[in-house]
Amino acid sequence: MFSFTKEQKIFEISGIKIGGQPGSYPTVLFGGLFFTGEPDFISADEQLKVMLNLSKKIGNPGIPDFFIQKEQYIEKILNFIEKKIPKNHPFSIDIIDPDLKIKTLKYLDEKNLLSRTIYNSIHIGITDKESDALKIYTPEMAITVAFNPKDKSPDGKIEVLQNGANLIDTGLLDLINKIGIKKILVDTAAMAPGDYSGAAIAAIPVIKEELGLPTGCAIHNVVEKSKWLNDFKFAKKQVDASSNINIPMFGGDFAIYGPINNSNIVFPIIAWQDILISEYVENYFGISPDDSHPRRKL
Amino acid sequence: MNKDYYPWGGEFTACNPKGCVAVVILNFDFIPSKKVAIYGSLKTENIGIEKIVANVISNPHIRYIIICGDDIRGHRSGSSLVALNKNGIDEKHRIIGAPGAIPYIENLKIEAIERFRKQIEIVNLIGISDKKKVEKSIDECVAMSPPSFGKPYMAIKIKPEVEISLDDKRVIHSKIVVDYMGKINKRGE
Repeated sequence: MFSFTKEQKIFEISGIKIGGQPGSYPTVLFGGLFFTGEPDFISADEQLKVMLNLSKKIGNPGIPDFFIQKEQYIEKILNFIEKKIPKNHPFSIDIIDPDLKIKTLKYLDEKNLLSRTIYNSIHIGITDKESDALKIYTPEMAITVAFNPKDKSPDGKIEVLQNGANLIDTGLLDLINKIGIKKILVDTAAMAPGDYSGAAIAAIPVIKEELGLPTGCAIHNVVEKSKWLNDFKFAKKQVDASSNINIPMFGGDFAIYGPINNSNIVFPIIAWQDILISEYVENYFGISPDDSHPRRKL
Repeated sequence: MNKDYYPWGGEFTACNPKGCVAVVILNFDFIPSKKVAIYGSLKTENIGIEKIVANVISNPHIRYIIICGDDIRGHRSGSSLVALNKNGIDEKHRIIGAPGAIPYIENLKIEAIERFRKQIEIVNLIGISDKKKVEKSIDECVAMSPPSFGKPYMAIKIKPEVEISLDDKRVIHSKIVVDYMGKINKRGE
């Protein structure tokens, strides 16, 4: 359990605060809605309600992360967001294809949703067209993925944030600042097992001490790629959910915890961990938990 | 020799060690006939491709890569592999002409990539998930009976140089120090 010397930035989106010293604010939890094929909005609505109810009861903010794979689903998914997510609640959009990202940004602008949008994500694969579109249709907050194919260590991750690691012309942070996005979350880019996977966790305190930015990752991806766990079906879901405690344990601020239907395990585990951390850091470092913290609510 | 093939790991199955065909499967379930040297799935346009290149050049008998199935959305990994074979990489190690999101080859030396481009001919069946068509293509490649490319090429993974000079066993990383209470500070400050 840590406290940082560097001043820690805290960013707010639609009333949810992310960042700060460990123990100040609850870990923010991003639950993924991965639609394979035609989106199943009935199931999505149910899962969303479960997540939001857990969040209300426990205190850890839950943010739905919408994975958009095809152009024909953009409008449908954004209509769902408009109708089913509370008006004062943020969401994130997770898209790989740069052209699809641009089209989605335009729709988000048309629907006046950009002020609640967390753009997931900006990385070294950003195209000029995407960058230009982001300048016109600027989301409130962005996640930047510190993926450096050349060096997956914490140093490599910092390099790509600060100077682009000779992969792109400027560092990702400068690039995002030039776009005009002021609220940046750093995703430490969890890699597959056998590919320096632990560096995503070790990088959290390093990046927070170096840059002071809210930091987290999708450590779930490492579990998903641990194929040997398929022989332990009962344990796999528990391992998946509990892998997320590494993030607050190492001072991180948010977890992208995979499928939203893991919410009922992930939220209590993380709340428990946040309480544990809060009890230490308040006594040792004088960091009082916010009113929204699970230690205040449970 | 066989046990030395495919040193880079990955999600693949090795079959006939003297087979001339490797099959890269995108987005569908397919088990090709055992006459192929190796088959497996491809997901990412960077690390996934690196593993294919390194593994394939370690077996000089492999002369064809058949890429089949629908390309991975956004990553465009199959098309990026085609581009690598056709164009190579630029000075920033980006695959020239690759449509994928982050098509960088960072852990292989240029010699390994050039060897791959010379040794391997790509059979582009991207968009085809008809197993019979893929098997037909495998048969056609096998019928060509190409010679071995010569000696195996064992690609060494490029790793950044690491300087270890830690005088504090509680440290997580060389950039920071953690005191006994858990307070983190930049090393040297």
